[in-house]
Amino acid sequence: MKVHVKLAVCQGHARCEDLCPEVFSTDAIEGKCVIEQPEFPPKLEEKVRLAVRNCPEGALRISGGMTS
Amino acid sequence: MTLQFHPEPPDHVPADLTVDFDFFHIPEGVADPTEIWHDLVRRNVPRIFYTPRNGGHWVFLNYNDIAEGYRNHETFSTHQAPIPPIAPFPVLQPNGVDPPEHNIFRLLLAPMFTPRAIRQLSEGLQHRAEGLIEGFALRGECDFIADYAEKFPTGTFLDLFGLPEAQLPEFLRIANVFFRSTDPVVRAANLNEIFTILEELFREKDRNPGNDMASKILAAKDANGHRHAWHDILNCGFLLFVAGLDTVTNTMAYVWRYLATTPAARAHFRERLDDPAAFLLAIEELMRINAVSNIYRRVKHDCEFRGVRLKKNDRVVLPNTVANRDAKVFERPGDIDLDRKINNHLTFGVGPHRCIGSHLAKREIMISLLEWLRHIPDFELAPEQEASAAFGGPVMGFESLKLVWPAKR
Repeated sequence: MKVHVKLAVCQGHARCEDLCPEVFSTDAIEGKCVIEQPEFPPKLEEKVRLAVRNCPEGALRISGGMTS
Repeated sequence: MTLQFHPEPPDHVPADLTVDFDFFHIPEGVADPTEIWHDLVRRNVPRIFYTPRNGGHWVFLNYNDIAEGYRNHETFSTHQAPIPPIAPFPVLQPNGVDPPEHNIFRLLLAPMFTPRAIRQLSEGLQHRAEGLIEGFALRGECDFIADYAEKFPTGTFLDLFGLPEAQLPEFLRIANVFFRSTDPVVRAANLNEIFTILEELFREKDRNPGNDMASKILAAKDANGHRHAWHDILNCGFLLFVAGLDTVTNTMAYVWRYLATTPAARAHFRERLDDPAAFLLAIEELMRINAVSNIYRRVKHDCEFRGVRLKKNDRVVLPNTVANRDAKVFERPGDIDLDRKINNHLTFGVGPHRCIGSHLAKREIMISLLEWLRHIPDFELAPEQEASAAFGGPVMGFESLKLVWPAKR
């Protein structure tokens, strides 16, 4: 499974980084989402899904793998 | 001339969308100023309505409409949007300009406000929090506003701007006037005073630059490699001044008021002092439930929005506290659930102008609460705490919040 960000939509709330710092961080230029680990391991699936659902801009989505 | 009240709404406003509502006025006996907003929803007024008070303005009450008010900068501008109208109003940088120009100062500030940049401030914030709390912890009582919630963010601002602590009372006073006054003469004088201070501040930083935000704003270059225009620099300082003081003060006031009256919530946080992820999740819920800001927009052109006719220069208020309890978006919206997993609150706005200081604000509140609970694990509202200490306006809050706890011997 892979997580993607639409940078044109991201406004740098960094809720993703708060919820799953293993996968998400924030760049030091525009303050927008950086996906450190796009193909995240299954044990992080729940945290990544929470990050996706908590993005206030709806900028994140997951592709591939089984949907739960 | 006064702009306070126009008994006749403009021609394009239908009578059935008109509600007499003054968001600066908190009726006697109302202890929590956000209640005047939730009362509108309970009374089932139109979800987009017009009030003739405070110069006349629209109010959006649906989460989706409020979010659209934030996102759609083609229709809803931050430029010259204050309520009651005051013209000309300084063009806050970057908040008072619409995209794409907005991006120039947004990008200038962004690196200073990333989560990582803010985490690096933690030690200083913790030191400040501890110093203030130790000053009154043994006493067994304090006025949370005067003794903590005003001093902490204002002191943090002075630190970030490399200014002496001695300027604290002056900054508190002018911020208070800025957010509370609806008197045109007082407001004009207040703006003059703020800009006199900013002018002095930036001139001093220009002579003696340091490693502070003011010096960084001065050192930044525009697309042609030149320093930004002097008025834009002042307006950027103005934004940071007005955006980070009163909002944090009053959010803290709401949070501590809630904790003082809710033993289970104090226990929830006390049990998670060493679990930052769970602590932060609970802070996020307190951000949702304690949204103190009501945000202004100005309609850019005549248009129809959700079937309502809006005219160029109409003002709009976006009440975050109402958006955050919309049952279409939040499960059990009225319940405070400190383990809430899905929480797309609008406390910091959304879209291009969303609060750049949200990471700083949350960290200020988180560190304050950690330090507070370590020193003062249990506390209550003092019996003399009065309901009349509440105020409305663009930032809602309390003039005083008297807290008591068992004094140590």
